[in-house]
Amino acid sequence: MLTNTLDVDAETFHAGTGWEIKPEGACKGEVCVPLPDGFELSSTAERLGMAVVHDDSTGTWAVGPESLGGRALVTAQAPELVLKDLEGAEVALSSLRGKKVVLVAWSPY
Amino acid sequence: MSVSLEVSDPDASRPFIEAGWAEATGAKHTALLDPTHQLDALFGVVNIPNVVWIDEEGVIVRPAEPGWPQGDYYPDWLREFLDQRDTEVEAKAAEVEATNPELAAKLRGGQDRDSYADAIRDWAANGADSTYALSPTDVVASSQPRPKAKSEGAAHFELALHLWSAGDREAAFGHFRQAHRLQPDNWTYKRQAWSLVGNEAAGGGEMGRFNQGPLPGQEDDWPFEGTFTSEAGSTPAADYYPKSADL
Repeated sequence: MLTNTLDVDAETFHAGTGWEIKPEGACKGEVCVPLPDGFELSSTAERLGMAVVHDDSTGTWAVGPESLGGRALVTAQAPELVLKDLEGAEVALSSLRGKKVVLVAWSPY
Repeated sequence: MSVSLEVSDPDASRPFIEAGWAEATGAKHTALLDPTHQLDALFGVVNIPNVVWIDEEGVIVRPAEPGWPQGDYYPDWLREFLDQRDTEVEAKAAEVEATNPELAAKLRGGQDRDSYADAIRDWAANGADSTYALSPTDVVASSQPRPKAKSEGAAHFELALHLWSAGDREAAFGHFRQAHRLQPDNWTYKRQAWSLVGNEAAGGGEMGRFNQGPLPGQEDDWPFEGTFTSEAGSTPAADYYPKSADL
């Protein structure tokens, strides 16, 4: 997640990281991490094991993915993923619910 | 569905996607583009090809792992290149077999390409009863390790792609190098960066993105510590495409 300020709201954080801020804390799938002091980017990132890196030349911040469980996944619930096809049309992974999905990552290199 | 991890414009991926569609006997698969490598952060993808299985309820039943769902569908020129490489690897394995059988096994090892498609077919037929469908607990436990340093590496990589796309090459190189240092086993982070610079040096073309090191005489201009030849070329298959425990 890229941002020009650390003063982001919960909705922006959810869109950028997949972690939704609820009364019980920061949640992804069935996993919720309490936020005793409420939502604020730096402290929430710290609770979730997200690195926050700054690029001095542009003033841009990057928030890395969570690492709190020591694994890439904290839940087996697939995260939402919205990407474009060759014609520029957006496709959401969640639109394929009801079908088995074999997701193949590849690259032209 | 397929997802291309490439920061460049869609035309870089188009020939491969269309080649796959042309060879398919059924409907065209959903082919998407991931120019910011979201799959790495969201699913723990660290190399290509990597495959994730997701059931009808949106639950992951196998996390990202090396996999070949339907054999290969490479253009002829790339098939020839890979066949030659496989021949060279086998020759090296045969050479060290007597003195270093462990290395020979590693060179020949890694995920089995042919049986992977059979595992997918088993899951397609048997769903949750398939022996290859993992429990949610096992899915999480067998996903890629991620200490906080890897989160930091991912953040640097995202900045690198952003800066590269904005034309700020030198700043991008610094963040690429940090990403490579913090996630040394993430081959997509390395190959994406190497291929961007290598393609430019080669002047593009079919093989441009597979040029992942400096051209002769241009070594001093290469902005990265490693190259594909120096790193992936010397990495045994068992480390490059680790075999999943139950496959």
